[in-house]
Amino acid sequence: MPIEIQLPRLGWSMEEGKFLDWLKKDGDFIQEGEPLFTLESDKAAQEIESIDAGILHIPSNGPKPGDLVQVGQVLGYLLSQGESAPGLSPQRAPADPQACGLDPSAEGKSQRVDVSQSTEATLPRATAGHPASPRARRAAKQHGVDLSTLSPSGQGGRIRECDVLAAADSTSSGGMKSVPLTPLRSSIAARLMHSRQTTVPVTINGRCDATELLALRRRLKSKSSSDQQSIGVIPTINDILVLLTATALRQHPMLAARWAGDHLLLPESIHIGIAVDTEAGLLVPVIRGVDTATLTQVATQSQRLIAEARAGKLAAVDMHGACFTLSNLGSLGVEAFTPVINPPESAILGIGAIVREAVPLDDGSFVARDRLTLSLTFDHRVNDGAAAARFLLTLRQLIEQPFQGLM
Amino acid sequence: MLTIRMVEERLAKSHQRGLIHGACHTYVGQEAIATGVCAHLHNADAIFSTHRGHGHALAKGMEPGQLMAELFGRETGCSRGRGGSMHLFAPEIGMMGTSGIVGPCILQAAGAGYSSLILKSGQVGVAFFGDGAANNGAFHEGLNMASIWKLPVLFVCENNQFATEVPFASVAGNSSVAARGAAYGLSSIEVDGNDVLAVEAAAGEAVTRARDGGGPTLIECTTYRTRAHAEGMGDFTYRTREDVEQWRARCPIARLKKHLLEHGLASDAQLDSIEQEVAALTEAAHEFAEKSAYPTAESATSHVYAVSANAPHRDAPSTSSATREITFMKATLEALTEEMARNPKIFVMGEGIGVRGGNFATTSGLFAVHGAARLRDTPICERGFVGLAGGAAMTGTRPVVDFMFADFVLDSVGEIVNQIAKMQYMSSGRLKMPVLLRGCIGIGHAAATHHSGSYYSMYAHFPGLRVVVPSSPRDAKGLLKTALTCDDPVLFLEHRELMSVKGPVPEEEYFIDFGKAAVVREGSDVTVVALALMVHKTLAACETLAAEGISVELIDPRTVAPLDVDTLLRSVAKTGRLLIVDEDFAHCGISAEIAAQLADRGFDDLDAPIRRLNGKPSPTPYSPTLEAAVVPNVEAIANAIRSLHAE
Repeated sequence: MPIEIQLPRLGWSMEEGKFLDWLKKDGDFIQEGEPLFTLESDKAAQEIESIDAGILHIPSNGPKPGDLVQVGQVLGYLLSQGESAPGLSPQRAPADPQACGLDPSAEGKSQRVDVSQSTEATLPRATAGHPASPRARRAAKQHGVDLSTLSPSGQGGRIRECDVLAAADSTSSGGMKSVPLTPLRSSIAARLMHSRQTTVPVTINGRCDATELLALRRRLKSKSSSDQQSIGVIPTINDILVLLTATALRQHPMLAARWAGDHLLLPESIHIGIAVDTEAGLLVPVIRGVDTATLTQVATQSQRLIAEARAGKLAAVDMHGACFTLSNLGSLGVEAFTPVINPPESAILGIGAIVREAVPLDDGSFVARDRLTLSLTFDHRVNDGAAAARFLLTLRQLIEQPFQGLM
Repeated sequence: MLTIRMVEERLAKSHQRGLIHGACHTYVGQEAIATGVCAHLHNADAIFSTHRGHGHALAKGMEPGQLMAELFGRETGCSRGRGGSMHLFAPEIGMMGTSGIVGPCILQAAGAGYSSLILKSGQVGVAFFGDGAANNGAFHEGLNMASIWKLPVLFVCENNQFATEVPFASVAGNSSVAARGAAYGLSSIEVDGNDVLAVEAAAGEAVTRARDGGGPTLIECTTYRTRAHAEGMGDFTYRTREDVEQWRARCPIARLKKHLLEHGLASDAQLDSIEQEVAALTEAAHEFAEKSAYPTAESATSHVYAVSANAPHRDAPSTSSATREITFMKATLEALTEEMARNPKIFVMGEGIGVRGGNFATTSGLFAVHGAARLRDTPICERGFVGLAGGAAMTGTRPVVDFMFADFVLDSVGEIVNQIAKMQYMSSGRLKMPVLLRGCIGIGHAAATHHSGSYYSMYAHFPGLRVVVPSSPRDAKGLLKTALTCDDPVLFLEHRELMSVKGPVPEEEYFIDFGKAAVVREGSDVTVVALALMVHKTLAACETLAAEGISVELIDPRTVAPLDVDTLLRSVAKTGRLLIVDEDFAHCGISAEIAAQLADRGFDDLDAPIRRLNGKPSPTPYSPTLEAAVVPNVEAIANAIRSLHAE
């Protein structure tokens, strides 16, 4: 019997995922455990391994790369030699054994069970909600309105064209076009709303001298280019700041604490999240064990994570476990901002642009220095303002004398 | 006679070989009759025949090759492959068709006689039919009408003694067909149908009488078919080999040969040479037919309707044209008056439409102008005069049948559906059928069930018919003008309750095309389609609904065949909602057709289910309380629109 390849549920709350692509071709023989396709759920792209063996049949009307697919929906089949594939109906109705012409043999029974299991996950969304008139369905398509979000005004609960047009008017008045949410955008929105609703954020800013920081970075760069043997990575300003932050957190561990209702949790080792801007949206991969890592180790980890994040291949495990996050908008010219805490963490550091400024000396003369602003948002439930300020002072001092901080 | 015989025998062989796809009824044994009668006819004389018509076609001058090709289903056949053995047409030689239905040819021949009367052409109509048809109502109605009006017609009964396989003697109270003619005041004669000279003499006398204005003649020719009813059928369940052999011995061809030789009118050698000549002709015809191509599948539905090469431009009058208020009935009378004055080929038949001017004054004043021939009061024989009208249309006149109430004409549905509607197609477009059938429909004034039906859905079902159901005096005049100038048969159905309704009618002459719906009232929320009286009732409902903020677009298709679906689609594209208000029954009616078309072609425009409001599926009751309960009224229409608007 053909084995159905279904979209797996990767987390208990996962309802749908974006099918990215097959990793095998139609007709390939698939061993159990071989990677079969890639799937984007929540935030991460993941390779999904085959749980059975067989010849892969990819139906022509199956999901296309980028399609949103319901958990449990059949993507394709694994066939044994000489077996033909069943047709794949885009929306499968509950199986009527007589209509299907199945005889009540053992084989027929087991097939019925398969079918009903697969439809269980796909049907509720297809039949849930209210019926819509053909005209309303056409209007919904034209205006990009999701029919499942509408309240019907027709007798007997039918969605009519006027319901669609009203919704289109309210969401897109003035010729706006509706863009469907990606799972990542939905996930970011949910997490940020959660943060806004469950923390007491306060942001403080502090300026510091970054002249020595830039000098260090120049030195690392020239050392790398002069050292022909070295094929190692060149740490970025951000990598240095990650490491210095870990040093400051060692001195002020409460800034890495988590709120746990009636107590606080302190991490045993310092994992730091770095906010990465990707085409799909914001991702926060986690650099592990920064408190015991060398600068090169931090740089190596961060470069890999950033590359995977931008390629949409970040594994779910790479986005968990941080106790603190760094968000750098300096490269885009932002000097100071109010970053939003990434729960369950309790603080986040925003890094502004490094700006060359005239700094007055005691003798009244001026000297040119590179300066940057740090914006620390902390959860006031966990830390008071002074404690946060003390952490920020430590960090500023470390940045002003980075060679010392890296010792 | 010999050509008929040899062609029939060749066809019998072809039937065995599978060259003939359908039935094949041969004329073997009866050749003397067609030959003796047709000897007196010109091309302009029109003959009408039966399912056993090969001999009539050949005797009237059809090429044997055309006959064979038709039976072989070829493009070169006399009906271009649309007819076969029982539907042979060659109007160019006066062969106006054979028919698979027993009886209509008698009425059609009377119609040809009527055309002759109107056109004063001197042409004669001839019906060939069997003893079976002599028991059919068409025989009695046709003979009676021909006798009353002294029509130039020959009724030639080929009494071969079996109606298919039923002996005539067993189904005839009076087994003399000729004797029946006397009952209707016809000259009648009985002759030996196997004696070509006797037939020829009787026919000669009858044709002369017809041409001289002496009226019709019934000739009963006693004969016998010596092959089976149809090729391939068993023959000896109802008669014996001995019977057949006895009649073979009386072969009309052998008898003529004997006569010619005995009187020294021809030599053996001459007769042999004729036989050889006919045999060669027959073989050549067979070869021609077998080599002919089949018609192309794309042409299967051509000739259902007439194609008017130079149809007049029928723009409705401009809205600025001056009008006056006249009744619906007066408007149609104007149309008929104008067209009768213009076209002398138009004549009207019906009960009380002569001096009386029609039950609904539909012909008021016309008798005084045009006289009895063009305003013909008929006996109460709807089948008879509708069938006669069909034959008249086939032979060059334009009959208008005024049947008062549409219910009455159901007696003639076979003539309308089987003959009039199909004639243009069967003749591959060579016959035109400009027959106008008009009468009242609709419930009202406690007319009860035999004076109140709406039958347009039934007629619209059949290909070949145009069905007009006007709702206003203006439309009624324009559409009747079109009906009186169109080459297709038209059912013009006038709602009785609209007859005295007044409305603006343009002063200038105008026509309204078939298949163009009228947007009676523009609106944006709900489209309502209504016909005839329902247009007026819906309009009244629209006023109430407008006050409630519901804007109704009301469309009157005006003709249900052809049906203007495009205008309905445009309206539904605007409103998204469709209600059909129809006095006729819902089941299989025009409302079902409109709903199906709109669901198919306008699916994505629909914002609600298509709704119908129809008359109740019941015969029309008499009592006013019962009568009102079976027809949609203004309140019911308004409620249906409200409900659909909220849907």
